[in-house]
Formats: sequence, structure tokens, C-alpha cells
Amino acid sequence: MIIAEVKDLVKKYPSFELKSVSFALESGRITGFIGRNGAGKTTTIKSMLNMIHPDSGMIRFFDSPLTGNEAKIKKRIGYSAGTISWYPRKKIRDIVDIVKRFYDTWDEAEYRKYLELFSIDETKTPLELSEGMKVKVNLMLALSHRSEVLILDEPTSGLDPFSRNELLEIFTDLKNEGVAVFFSTHIISDIEKCADDIVYISQGRIVAAMQKADFIRQFSVAGESLEYTMLRLEGGAVHA
Amino acid sequence: MRNILRKEMKLSSSVLSYLFILFGLMFLLPGYPILCGAFFVSLGLFQSFQTAREANDIVFSALLPVAKKDVVIGKYLFVCLIEGCAFLLMAFAAVLRMTVFSQSVVYRSNALMNANFFALGMACVIFGMFNLIFVGGFFKTAYRFGRPFVTFIIAAFLLIFAAEALHHVPGMEALNAFGSEHIVLQVTLLAAGIVLYLLITVISCRRACGYFERIDL
Repeated sequence: MIIAEVKDLVKKYPSFELKSVSFALESGRITGFIGRNGAGKTTTIKSMLNMIHPDSGMIRFFDSPLTGNEAKIKKRIGYSAGTISWYPRKKIRDIVDIVKRFYDTWDEAEYRKYLELFSIDETKTPLELSEGMKVKVNLMLALSHRSEVLILDEPTSGLDPFSRNELLEIFTDLKNEGVAVFFSTHIISDIEKCADDIVYISQGRIVAAMQKADFIRQFSVAGESLEYTMLRLEGGAVHA
Repeated sequence: MRNILRKEMKLSSSVLSYLFILFGLMFLLPGYPILCGAFFVSLGLFQSFQTAREANDIVFSALLPVAKKDVVIGKYLFVCLIEGCAFLLMAFAAVLRMTVFSQSVVYRSNALMNANFFALGMACVIFGMFNLIFVGGFFKTAYRFGRPFVTFIIAAFLLIFAAEALHHVPGMEALNAFGSEHIVLQVTLLAAGIVLYLLITVISCRRACGYFERIDL
């Protein structure tokens, strides 16, 4: 079932342009969003959260347009912005105490579970956390209110291999519960490990939005890893 | 809306915004331009905007499950709450001076503006100017606040200067009334100040919502 849809999204900046970006996210599937730095991943994700305003195009969640239904839709979405830290001098506990009041679906048991799983000390401030721990705090916030869609901007960057592995397992568990997981990354092996679908963006244009198996069939040479395929594609073949 | 206000109070604000409410008691000072109290309260609010910007507060708030305009309304609610508290302190001080201390020599021989209902009305206008020029100006970009604050400083001190000077103009001595003298005029001027404050704040908030809606964060 399609749970989120991005259609013909256009955003022009003086030196960059999102060119008619379209893709859909389905419930119970993990979608990896790949592309180089500056390819348009964050611009696309920010558009999906109404943080920036596309020049044209349409974004829909749960069959409703984002415009006009922002608050209602955001309650059902979990979002994590990698290593950005909020309120560096406030205790995690105090930040969480404010955030949870916005969600009637806040699950205290889930929150406690991730607190323990990620070994987060809620009496610490973001200032006292490493970059990896900041990522975990953001993820914990996104995961603790029974989101139906998770939109994660580079959630694995800065994480150690063990935490990354744990996170990918969490993605798989969530997928099995019917959650749509959409995450951008530079780490192709993460996509190789857990993604069902791939959305590949290059220079503001969607090159492919399809099942991983189809992507490999279409773009990979026999015996080639996905990482090498991406390196080869970005080496010039895509826009040649 | 209660949640967004709670977020403003607990996460986004600077403790100075709360402490500077006490400058409302400057209405008790004799021989001092008492409307500077309203300016200092605004200075305390400015500190909250600075703290919030350092903490990525605007982006955090915009990611919460609220409409973008609610982020703006939350800021205005917080600002109005602090201004309201300061106004109550000023009103308390003004009423003291108008009743218990109405015959006090220290206040009677005060060359500067007397603390009365007109002064309270002017404090409302200064707060309104802060909301219009500073808060409204901030939301044009949601990160630049230097120019709006400097503009507000100029406007605020022009207003303070004008309010201090008015009762020296022949025929306008009643503006500096003591106790319950010219009470109808005083109450009218206070009511006009409050109405102006509310009007300016609502207009500014609506415009700020429009600006913020168009900003790319």
C-alpha cells in the first residue's frame, strides 16, 4: 500500500535544481535513498517535511496532501536529522518531556526500550554527547511515537558498526510491523543489507526508483557489488 | 497551543527573559525615565531569541507535529506572556504611586514622567513596537535579529523621549497627573495603549505567519 508519494517535485536554487523528483513509499518496506553529497537528498527530505517550499510538485502522505494537513500528517511520521543537536544545554530528559506531549501516540515503553538499547543517559545534555550518540537520540525520538513512516536523513552516519547493525535490525523489525522506512545514506552496504527498494538521485534527478532486485538487474554487472555499481554509475555513466 | 507555549517556556527561553520581568518595578524609581523598564523587559526577551537561535529551536519546532504558523504563534504567546507579567508589575507600582505614595515629596518633585495610567499605556505601546518591529522582523528570515533589534531600540527610545517630553508641552500637563487627577483621561489613555498593543501584536503575528510560511528552513 502506498503510504507516501512525491510527484514531480521541482525546486530551483541559483546553483542547484531538483528536477521533477517522483517516487512512492510503501508500508512495510525499507527504501534506501542514495546519491552523492549535493545530489538533492536533503532538499527532497526537507520538502517532504514542509521545511522548504518546492516550486512545483505534490507531496502526499496517507492519501492526503501535505499542504493543509501538516500537523495531522507529522504526528504519524518519525523524522531524524542525523547529527544535528537541539538545545545543546538542556537535559535529554527535559527535551523528551516536551516532545512527547505533542504525540498522543507516544509510547513510553518503546522510549525506555530505545533508551536502554542505545545506552543513552537521559540526564546528559546533547553537548555532552558524541556525534554518534546525537544520532541515536534523534532516532530514539523518531522511534518512540509509533510512526507509520520513518524519514531518516543519514541515520547511520557517525554510528559505530555495532550500532549500525543494531539499527538496521530495528529497521527490519519496524518493516515487519508495517512501517515504511525511508533513509538516505552514503553507506551502500547498509542499503545492500536491509533495503527492499532503492531511490537513486543524481544531480537533482531521480535516476531510478525501483525494487532493489530490479535495480541490481538493470544497473549491476554480473558479480559486481552494489557499492561498485554506484561508484561506476557516479563515475559518469548515468548522465553520459 | 499549550504544548508549544510550554516548549517556548522550558526549552527555547533564556532565564534572563524571566529575570528581566523585574524591570517592571522600575516604575517605582523617582527621577528616572520609568519607560526604560519596558525597554529592559524587551531586552530580556531578545535574549530568548538569541538562546533559541543557538539551539536550532526554529527548525526543531517546525519539525514538531504542528502547523508552521503555530511555531510563530507560540513565540508570540511567550513574548506576550512575559510582557503581560511585566505589565502587571508596572501596574502594581503605578497604583502604589497613585494611591499610597500620591503625596510623597520624592515623587511629587520628580522632574521626569510620573508613573500613572498614561505611563502604563505608553509601556503597552513600547511592547507593541517590540512585537511589530523585532519579533515581526525576526520572522522575515527566522535567523537574523540584529537589524530588527537595532530598529526597535531607536523606535523605543524615540517613544520614551516623546512620552517624557509630552507633559512639558503647554496644555498637556494632565498627562503627568498624580493620584486620581484627570482619571477619565488617564483610563482612556491606558485603554488606548492596550488596544493599540493588541492591534499591533495581532497584525504583526499574522504577517510573521505569512513570512515564516514562505521561508525555506
